Amino acid sequence: MKRNLEFEFSAGLRWTHWLRAIAIAVLTVTGFYLTYVFIIPEASDEPILFLNAKFRMWHEIAGFLLIAVTLFKLYLFLIDKVSMKERIAFLDFISPKIWIQQIKYYLFMGEHPHLRGVYNPLQFIAYVGLYAMVFVISLTGLILYVHMYQGGGIGLFLYDFMRPIEAMMGGLAMVREIHHIVMWGILIFLPIHIYMAIFNSIMGKEGSMDAIISGYKFTKHDSKH
Amino acid sequence: MEHAKLYERLSQRLNDLEKFPRIKEEKSIAALMEEHGISRRDFMKWAAGVTAMLSLPSEFTPLMAQAAELTDRLPVVWLHMAECTGCSESLLRTDAPTIDSLIFDHISLEYHETLMVACGWQAEHNLESAIEKYKGKFILMVEGGIPAGSSEFFLTVGPHGQTGQASAKKAADAAAAIFAIGTCSSFGGIQAAYPNPTNAQPLSKITNKPVINVPGCPPSEKNIVGNVLHYILFGTLPALDAYNRPKWAYGLRIHDLCERRGHFDAGEFVQEFGDAGAKKGFCLYKVGCKGPYTFNNCSRERFNQHTSWPVQAGHGCIGCSEPGFWDNMGPFEEPLGDRLYHTVYGEGADKTADKVGVALLTVTAVGIAAHAAIAAVKGSGKTEE
Repeated sequence: MKRNLEFEFSAGLRWTHWLRAIAIAVLTVTGFYLTYVFIIPEASDEPILFLNAKFRMWHEIAGFLLIAVTLFKLYLFLIDKVSMKERIAFLDFISPKIWIQQIKYYLFMGEHPHLRGVYNPLQFIAYVGLYAMVFVISLTGLILYVHMYQGGGIGLFLYDFMRPIEAMMGGLAMVREIHHIVMWGILIFLPIHIYMAIFNSIMGKEGSMDAIISGYKFTKHDSKH
Repeated sequence: MEHAKLYERLSQRLNDLEKFPRIKEEKSIAALMEEHGISRRDFMKWAAGVTAMLSLPSEFTPLMAQAAELTDRLPVVWLHMAECTGCSESLLRTDAPTIDSLIFDHISLEYHETLMVACGWQAEHNLESAIEKYKGKFILMVEGGIPAGSSEFFLTVGPHGQTGQASAKKAADAAAAIFAIGTCSSFGGIQAAYPNPTNAQPLSKITNKPVINVPGCPPSEKNIVGNVLHYILFGTLPALDAYNRPKWAYGLRIHDLCERRGHFDAGEFVQEFGDAGAKKGFCLYKVGCKGPYTFNNCSRERFNQHTSWPVQAGHGCIGCSEPGFWDNMGPFEEPLGDRLYHTVYGEGADKTADKVGVALLTVTAVGIAAHAAIAAVKGSGKTEE
């Protein structure tokens, strides 16, 4: 069968995707530790273990990584020429016809709609939701962070900006609550995202999983947008 | 080596040295001793003491006396780096001019910033000409830690504005033997204590040549002069321990020969300063004595003409001749079990994370700017195929 090689995802998109995946994995493990402190080190009479501090440090570092890749990806999405295909997906997103076709496809009641962009409407709204959650969890994370460190750098710089937001959210306990709840939102997103990626890869037979690694997918028919 | 053979070798060396001219055309050491009221008998007693300190048999005493009289054949250049001059003071400010200080003060020093009369351009000229004239022959003694690398400018000395690192390197390259006098030049000392703001380094990190460390804050005058005499006698560097300290001085711990050791073994400890145990001279371990971790001969040689030393005066050893003692031996008046620890990675988990965060966000900003710039110039490389 003749197939067309289609460049779908830019290098920046793919790198930020996998760095985000790593950051989320590290954040989840260290974050659960920080909530439930479920690991207890072997007792030592010298106060040099700092297990909690080390977990917190890696949590903070992964958090900054998440913020960094999010900012970069946001820039790519808004400005980058290769990302035009992502922006065009917005047109599919506001088309009721494509919405209906896409839902029918997922219910095995019809063909996959022909898309102009790289995301279908359900995918698009899921990713917008993910970015909203990443924004909230980053913001609440930074609020929690500025109380850990004010010796300079980001901690000191953001302190005065974060305090009013903290007050708006109803105090530090509420900030932590929101941070934790949003984490569950992201954790629920993850298996659905992975499932849908596999589902589309199997059903579409266009090597769509390849695209997030190599950047290319293999379309069956010429699909010039 | 058998004693007779060693004796033979050392006398041979001293006889050879004797043929060298005196560096200064002034008085001989013998004449100087006499002038300062030191009798031949006192001098021989001193020589016997030094012989014993260097673990040589007593029949070597005449050789030691001869070596002391030949100290004016070996030029010594003494450089000051980032330091307090306490090491020089230890040698020079004894209550009466001792033989040790006489030897140093009056005779063999070619260049010593505290003692010399010259200043400014003239002093600099003296140093340069000494290094030139005695190239490969002089003994270099360096006092003080040396700010190194990108922060070497923290120590900039003299009319040429030369950094300490540069002048130490230059002198070390031309020296026959190099001694790091005091803890600062041996291990960095207080300058190198956490967080070491000037990046002070020991002399051994500055030069590739072998450096004999004579640590102590200050080292006793015995250990400084003993090293010179050892070099005059043997012409070689002494046997060294793991930290390049001469074994004859730093072979045993303070604790091993401490006068309060009996109380330690008996379990009699001072509980707090001024208590009954302190009055009875009990062991100072529980009020922070670091003698058990410190290699030095203070408990044998003491200070100020063998008069006293810290433990005798009632305060524990602070471990001043050990590497990194400011960081490792504190608190000085409590046992090491009570010591305070630095937090994670030396500056705290959150500060580390903050630095990483700043780096990541900077990289992001640079990445965005670079991407935008490249895209603007080149346009998009890969489009649809």
